[in-house]
Amino acid sequence: MTSRLKKITSLWITTVLLLFVISIILGITMRFNQAEVIRLSPITFYTDMTVHGLTMIGIWFVAGMAAVNFIMERYVKTSKFVNILALVLTVVGVLMFWASTFIGKFHAGWTFLYPLPFKVMWSAWATPLFLYSLAVLAVGWLIWCISLIAAMLKKYSITQVFAWQYFKKGPKEETPPFILISMITLVGIVTCLITAIVLVVLLFAEYYSKGTFVNDALLMKNLTYFFGHAIANEMLYLGLAVIYEMFAEISGRPKWKTTWYVSLAWNCTLFFILTAFFHHLYMDFVQPEGLQILGQLASYLASLPAAGVTVFSIVVAVYRTKINWTLANLLFFIGVMGWVVGGLGAVIDATISNNFVLHNTLWVPAHFHTYNAMGNVLFSLGFFYWFSVNFSNSRHSEKLSALKLFLLIVGGIGFLAAFYIGGADSIPRRYSNYPAEFVHAKTLALIGGVFASIYLIGILIFFVNITRRCVKILFSQSA
Amino acid sequence: MHYSILLFFLIVAVISISVFVYVFLTSKQSDNNTTGMANPLQKRFWFILILLVILGIFASVTIPKSPYYLFADEQPKAVVHVAAMQFNFFMSDSAIDPKMPKGEDSITFNTNELVEFRVTSLDVNHGFAIYNASNKLIAQTQAMPGYVNRLRFKFKEPGTYHIFCLEYCGMAHQLMRTTFTVK
Amino acid sequence: MCKDFILSICIIVCSQSLVYCQSSAGWKEEVNVYNKIYDAPITMVSGKKTSINTLAETKPLIIALVFTRCYGICTPLLLQLKESLPYKHDERKYEVLVVSFDSRDKLKDMQRLRNQLQLNANSNWKFAITDSISRLVASVGFNPVWHEKIKQFEHDALLVGVNSQGYISKKLIGLRSENDLSMMISSINNIFTPTYRLPGKSAMLSCFNYNPVTGKNTPGIGLLLIALPAILSMLVLIVINKLVHRKEEI
Repeated sequence: MTSRLKKITSLWITTVLLLFVISIILGITMRFNQAEVIRLSPITFYTDMTVHGLTMIGIWFVAGMAAVNFIMERYVKTSKFVNILALVLTVVGVLMFWASTFIGKFHAGWTFLYPLPFKVMWSAWATPLFLYSLAVLAVGWLIWCISLIAAMLKKYSITQVFAWQYFKKGPKEETPPFILISMITLVGIVTCLITAIVLVVLLFAEYYSKGTFVNDALLMKNLTYFFGHAIANEMLYLGLAVIYEMFAEISGRPKWKTTWYVSLAWNCTLFFILTAFFHHLYMDFVQPEGLQILGQLASYLASLPAAGVTVFSIVVAVYRTKINWTLANLLFFIGVMGWVVGGLGAVIDATISNNFVLHNTLWVPAHFHTYNAMGNVLFSLGFFYWFSVNFSNSRHSEKLSALKLFLLIVGGIGFLAAFYIGGADSIPRRYSNYPAEFVHAKTLALIGGVFASIYLIGILIFFVNITRRCVKILFSQSA
Repeated sequence: MHYSILLFFLIVAVISISVFVYVFLTSKQSDNNTTGMANPLQKRFWFILILLVILGIFASVTIPKSPYYLFADEQPKAVVHVAAMQFNFFMSDSAIDPKMPKGEDSITFNTNELVEFRVTSLDVNHGFAIYNASNKLIAQTQAMPGYVNRLRFKFKEPGTYHIFCLEYCGMAHQLMRTTFTVK
Repeated sequence: MCKDFILSICIIVCSQSLVYCQSSAGWKEEVNVYNKIYDAPITMVSGKKTSINTLAETKPLIIALVFTRCYGICTPLLLQLKESLPYKHDERKYEVLVVSFDSRDKLKDMQRLRNQLQLNANSNWKFAITDSISRLVASVGFNPVWHEKIKQFEHDALLVGVNSQGYISKKLIGLRSENDLSMMISSINNIFTPTYRLPGKSAMLSCFNYNPVTGKNTPGIGLLLIALPAILSMLVLIVINKLVHRKEEI
């Protein structure tokens, strides 16, 4: 384990946590504006919303990638140069994106659904700058993914890396589960980043052709959600790769092994993730019925490998087993729980007849905040905590652990409950201010904002502790 | 419908969380002599099978209720053309000219008559969501430029119904709305 | 990755050169849809007097509004219809009614038109004139404009689908594809399709082409673009694998 990789990883962690705190503050600002505790102009609100969405997606994606890259060094040699390059391009991309939003007031939402980016309600230069920032991010991340895939393929054959040998009796070679999951996830990410590039190219084509080339709204929506759905899910799987590797190790238990059903489950996941995105277009009746139904079935089936293999494995690993519980594996365990609950909310919404009354209500942010704020974030925090404690030689005290967990859980539950109740109350998402018809909307927004602030306090304690240790690693002389 | 979805979610969420908490507690009470789960592979198999059956039942019950099949065999009594445009809905009995979009001041339907909304957009993507008199979302479709989505529905109760835009469409998205009456 | 760019650009350049323009006034097809057509009394070429609704009751109608002295779109419209219809469609599901909207047209003019089109023997095509031209064209939202100088009407090439209850279920403006005709035939037979696209210049990159005869969607170029990333990433995987192992051999 080189000290350079540790330093790069510390840098990633510090960057991610800093951007996370800023993005949470933007989120809380939005809730308080909806509660009319503070007053923002709608443009400011929607700018905040755009920044909040894309920054969150970006940082938790790179957080997963940085963790996977760090652990992968145990098995294969990864490129430090590409890792640094990805960090630089991410920072440049985010700065360009922030310039287009905070200065240029670009506010088409993080899904920038065509043709909204071309209905300019902001500085004219903000649209191309936004598209260029996306291109920078996509290219940087694509290079990173391809470099990691190449690193794995140098050591493992295609059969091995996808763990296909487990489908035969008595497999000779072993594939660590970490390698299998990283590979499946990275291939999915490459697909979704290529989609992003196709999308950006099509947008540029229309932008620079000055109206002679016009895109098809349905195609663009399919591409947008193919990309958006895939990246939001794949970043969770990066977190799961870390759990497969670290949970047993931190708990002082024997390492997990790949079996035929683990291999089968993850290979299926690759397929489902690429077809389930159709559930974002249920309310576009223009999409053929066959694809709508495929969307529902794929969304349902995607839960089988997740619940039957990953979640069940965690349960088996913990049930009546003596475990060395630390903050890191507790975060992993609670994260899996949050992921399951968010998944339940997602499956409910992925049912077409429910989607008819839930689509684009607060139910949508409710479920994805559940598996992000109470799932994926905890996976990454668990890794960050383990990493910073392990390599900074600091005597860590577990004194604040209970408090931190308490703040995250109480804050998280209250904040999410306000969303779920709002969803069942048919309150629309993405409204800067609520019309008078939605009588409970303001109260719910206030409750959500207050509990999100409690969650933020928990995160701030993590931020201070982890960052302090990471800075120590960054400036340490020896490895 | 709406609160029953929430209730269902709460029940399954509480069950799942209880399982996790229980599993965690068994671990806390364990020592070096306890021996994990007996026969985990078999239990895993049963778990997946039961889950598959439950999901299969759910899919076969819910898919036929999808909005695409709503009243497909009947002829509509009233047809309303809807053109969504930043930040307005135009609704009219006759087709709407995109160059000079005009809607009617008031639209009225009778209870239990089949209404067909032919929804399109003149600029960006919008949502066309129908809220009943108690402000619950009862039906929706998307308004997509270049396409017409046909939403068929019967309104059972008289009253004022609101339409809100549910697809983010720019800075005045939250103000985009209209109404119609059912008598 | 460079490859992805080049490929995407190629596709865009190709599609740009192929962009086909059609009447941008897609909305006109929506005018008066679902209204009742005016039940005009008509006189058929055979001399038989009947009305539009009586005809529609026996078989749903595709009505073409034309005038025989037209130098423009009328004959191409009828020829295209004649060519497109017999191959795919069941003749029991529709009947074509060609009605003149020019008061100068008499039965013998329509007879001549039928001869020109060689449709004498085809009982599924009816040619007729009517005394209530203005009420008929108004009920379908059709506005021919007379130019005295050239003695011609300026007008759209219009097909009107009428179901057996006498409602206008669909209209098509311009010379249209077989798929659009298929959609019209299913609409006059009261088969519900939840959506359709409006004619426009972005049609090149559409994802699906709906074919109501088979009830299936055939993939369009757009769908290829959706599948492209998945195919490309598999290619990327294979290429990397090859490259990585070639290095080892050296």
